[in-house]
Amino acid sequence: MTISATNPPEREASRPRGRAGGALSSAFLKRLPIFAALFTLTAIFGLWQIASARGWAPPVFLPSPERVWKAARTAMEVGYANATLGQHAAASLGRVMAALLATLLIAVPVGFVLALSPVGRGLLDPIIEFIRPLPPLAYLPLVIIWFGIGEGSKILVISVAMFAPIAISTAFGVGSASESQIRAARSFGASRIQTLRHVLLPAALPSILSGVRIALGAGWTTLVASELVAASRGLGYMIQSAAQFLVTDMVIVGILAISLFAFGFEILFRLVERFWSPWSRRR
Amino acid sequence: MSLLRLRRASLSYPAGGGGSVEVLRDVSLTIRRGEFVTVLGRSGAGKTSLLNLAAGFVAPSSGAVEVDGRPVSGPGADRAVVFQNDALLPWLDAAENVAFPLRLKGVGRAARLERAARLFRLVGLEGHERKNLWELSGGQRQRLGIARAIAAEPEFLLMDEPLGALDAMTRDRMQELLLKVWRASGAGALLITHSVEEALFLGTRVVVMEPHPGRIGLEEPLDFSSRFLEGASARALKAEPAFIAARERLIAAIHVEETALS
Repeated sequence: MTISATNPPEREASRPRGRAGGALSSAFLKRLPIFAALFTLTAIFGLWQIASARGWAPPVFLPSPERVWKAARTAMEVGYANATLGQHAAASLGRVMAALLATLLIAVPVGFVLALSPVGRGLLDPIIEFIRPLPPLAYLPLVIIWFGIGEGSKILVISVAMFAPIAISTAFGVGSASESQIRAARSFGASRIQTLRHVLLPAALPSILSGVRIALGAGWTTLVASELVAASRGLGYMIQSAAQFLVTDMVIVGILAISLFAFGFEILFRLVERFWSPWSRRR
Repeated sequence: MSLLRLRRASLSYPAGGGGSVEVLRDVSLTIRRGEFVTVLGRSGAGKTSLLNLAAGFVAPSSGAVEVDGRPVSGPGADRAVVFQNDALLPWLDAAENVAFPLRLKGVGRAARLERAARLFRLVGLEGHERKNLWELSGGQRQRLGIARAIAAEPEFLLMDEPLGALDAMTRDRMQELLLKVWRASGAGALLITHSVEEALFLGTRVVVMEPHPGRIGLEEPLDFSSRFLEGASARALKAEPAFIAARERLIAAIHVEETALS
């Protein structure tokens, strides 16, 4: 009785001290990777600044950050290669998004077939394993021969690059629904379609989202290749136009724009994942 | 009166080398609504296979599984299953998990959540409706699993070691809860367990299965559960000479083959 009466105040007295001390250092430790990342960015930028200011490389190879910033403003306000930076970005973004939508419509069902039907898996596996390791530049000429140089070909090239990551991660996600989850649902009278809709699809959703993240990475990678031929707009097209005339600052502007978009989408999809499937990280 | 019946049901799986493994042989068992049949037996005696047949997850190689004389062609809402590892859906909150069978039937959100709230009271989880699954204990999740099966309003409740993963104290309380829920639902129950005490306490009838191939060795009526529901204390019942004698008899029946081998 006396022990339990005296114990809690003691504990309460000692706890806040320990917690305050621990909180400071653990908050710092948690953010340490972010600090390290900021350090890397600052170091690269500083090195770039110094290298161009000291003339370690001629400006045509390494334009200064100021010149790149000026080129960026020119591209945004006046435009470069027939369009403003915003219009180039919109064209590229449109292609990547169209490709993503088209790929989702095909690759998600294909992922379900891979996971649920051994025969379907046998039929589709060779195709996926054939496509998966191919570099976009290798099949781009063939796509142009078959489908011409229109917008469809560009979207198709990006879609092909996105297909395998989404199909494979969908299949993985469908497989993550447990046998007892499926059987229990069936015993409550769920039809096959209902099991698909209410058990398999939600179970697969987190994997589908990470598949989309990986696919978007592949999509941005493929973008420049797809805009190599007969494009009149797009970040990839802008980069190549600038490169032909050795306008290096504009090349860098294009590269930074692509990387900003890719990074933005990565962050966006991580947030969507966290919001949409908090349970997937709790099991 | 509904009737779930296995008639001389056998089950074999193809094995390597063109042969087959016989899991169940000539199993005949009848469960009526309002009955609670508990199934004991060593691992490999085909207890889970028996449940899979009754649920319609697998079809018998010979013999028949029938509900009210009609052959069972697959799983159905008249035979709801509760698994040991919770087969709940983590992307739904507690209430939507319990209401899941109603959602499958197309019951609207407001109506199904209202029905779920009643089931939360039945299993003593009121106030936890909007929680996520990972915020609940193992015992609470198992209660959700049972409430969810009841929500399907089944004729029969099929349970594969529903309390197997719980600690001893929780398990005792859950047994009493299970009896009350079963009585309130009016369903027929089939419960598979490794615990002889659990089988004796819960069942209105106990079945002991023997392995290689799985078959029914012994079938006995019981009255401990009905006496508990009439007001007798669970601890007093489990301490009765009749309970202890039955326990020893069943343990001997389960291990008879083992001793014969050694």
